[in-house]
Amino acid sequence: MCMRCEISRRSLLAGGGALAASMATGIAQARTRPADMVPLIGPGFKPTDEDEKGLWQLMDRAEEEISGSNLLIKDPELVSYLQDIIGRVGGPAAKDMRIYLAHIPDFNAMMFPSGFSVIFTGLLLRMRNEAQLAGVIAHESGHFLRRHMIRSWRDTRRKSDLFAIGAMAAGMGGAAGGVYLGDYVQLAQLGTILSLFAYSRAMEAEADAMGARLIAEAGYPPMEMATVWEQLIGEEEASARYRRKRRRRGTLFDTHPSPTSRMADLRLSAAEVTVAGRAYDNGRARYLSKLAPIRQMLLEDQVKLNDPGGSQYLLNTLAQDGWNGMLRYYEGEVWRLRNRAGDDARAAQSYAVAVAYPDAPAEAWRWHGLSLIKEGRSGEGKAALGRYLQMKPGAPDAPFIRQMVG
Amino acid sequence: MRKSKLILAAALLPLAACSSVGEGTDLGVYSLVRVKQTNVGNGSVTVLPPRPWNRQRRFFLFDSLRWVEDWTLNGPYLDGITFVTALPSGEYLVRQRRSDERQVPKFRSDMMAPEIAAMLETAFRVRGGAVQFNTLSLQPRQFLGYPGFQYDFEHLDSDELWRKGRAVGAVIDGRLYLILFDATRSHYYGNALPDFEVMANNARMRRS
Repeated sequence: MCMRCEISRRSLLAGGGALAASMATGIAQARTRPADMVPLIGPGFKPTDEDEKGLWQLMDRAEEEISGSNLLIKDPELVSYLQDIIGRVGGPAAKDMRIYLAHIPDFNAMMFPSGFSVIFTGLLLRMRNEAQLAGVIAHESGHFLRRHMIRSWRDTRRKSDLFAIGAMAAGMGGAAGGVYLGDYVQLAQLGTILSLFAYSRAMEAEADAMGARLIAEAGYPPMEMATVWEQLIGEEEASARYRRKRRRRGTLFDTHPSPTSRMADLRLSAAEVTVAGRAYDNGRARYLSKLAPIRQMLLEDQVKLNDPGGSQYLLNTLAQDGWNGMLRYYEGEVWRLRNRAGDDARAAQSYAVAVAYPDAPAEAWRWHGLSLIKEGRSGEGKAALGRYLQMKPGAPDAPFIRQMVG
Repeated sequence: MRKSKLILAAALLPLAACSSVGEGTDLGVYSLVRVKQTNVGNGSVTVLPPRPWNRQRRFFLFDSLRWVEDWTLNGPYLDGITFVTALPSGEYLVRQRRSDERQVPKFRSDMMAPEIAAMLETAFRVRGGAVQFNTLSLQPRQFLGYPGFQYDFEHLDSDELWRKGRAVGAVIDGRLYLILFDATRSHYYGNALPDFEVMANNARMRRS
């Protein structure tokens, strides 16, 4: 269901024991091949079994609640862009699936059993091109096309007490009312929904293989799916390392074969579905222009959370396609918010570099000016603040800044 | 689960107890603040509330930030005033672990108003679960007789409620003094803002 759940620390801890055991006995899981991944549903699929019908009814209720949430970004152009992508990589169910964009600064996406999907804004920030986003969406479509939800729902029901399931299901409709899908799925009730459909490793592998096939068919470079995974692992590790939660050799994360083996599998699958001589387009230019109106908001949401390790990694990843004024400005913000000895100077330098780019946001001039004033270069600082006010005369903090400029 | 309303320095345990046990038993989480001169935070500032408020008790085992004190009128989800008194350089507004993924920045004595405003914004995003945060205004304002600032903002929190707030503060002798008001944007903000304004204006430093 959710892209990032698999490597969350929590699931690592939970799954670690079993995993270590299987490693010790040397059981190797064969890779699921994209060629074997046939969609199990066709266009206009509607459930016929009683239990699945009941599940869909609950999900319709949940969708109604989610679609009315004020955490959703409803910008029609952006939403129709996402809907177009799911239309390209949704396989036979492309026309049936719905997609919602939630304003939550985490890397996550999830597919619900009745074919609607929720994407977090934090995911959009982390994707470097349209192919990467399409890869994530295709993975989620894969869960739907392979009917993973009903399979895991039936599995859960077999295992659990009937009354407990009844109580969970009863809570589900209402639960979706307060749908906050924050980091590691914070809303307790929504966690209940997700836990009902916890996917097995095999299902995740299926969704990966299915996804690789779907994006290749849509003309995206299939390797981008593996790259997304690599970026995600890199960010988690950078954040952990920064907080000195360095995982020593022999600890769970280091020995956990899942992230790296999953990446290796994705690479193999990508190679398998790549047709020699065919031109693939990663859609980067289109992606950047579609996201341009919210790009600064996405960066703001991430950087202001003050997770310096994660944010730095992310900025460096995005900068692989070239530094610009916006990225340099947010690099400065990362240092400034980190606020350790020497970070003042680092931030000041980033702001100074940022304002040299033509695309530097007005805020870069503000912080450039404030940094200069702190360094005692009052005249230059005031000039920079003046530039800020010139660019954004109606800025909410203009009254204060005007007073500083004098 | 992240608590959706920011309560500076608040310990989570008593709040959880408060909401699960219900109203009949308050477990001594709150104590009454009467309409008389009242010392707040570490005792270096005194205010005169225009009507009775509730002071959130500090649990020293979990929560030893003596510079910070929380009040509420209708419960912390609906409204609250936080007093920050003489916060020294290098200290934080909240208790947090070094290993926390997301950190509220530490206060430094050389911070200017825009930096303090940014520190508060991050506190709301990190601890309050704000998914959207808008600065409404930052302007000069006297506080405790010193040149300071007034910061107005609103934020959409993960419980889907819009909240609105105002902070009035100043850095005096390298220490941060601040009164911060935050309430749901509809009704409760307007309801208690006059109280906040009265206290922001009648707050005085105590001579020790």
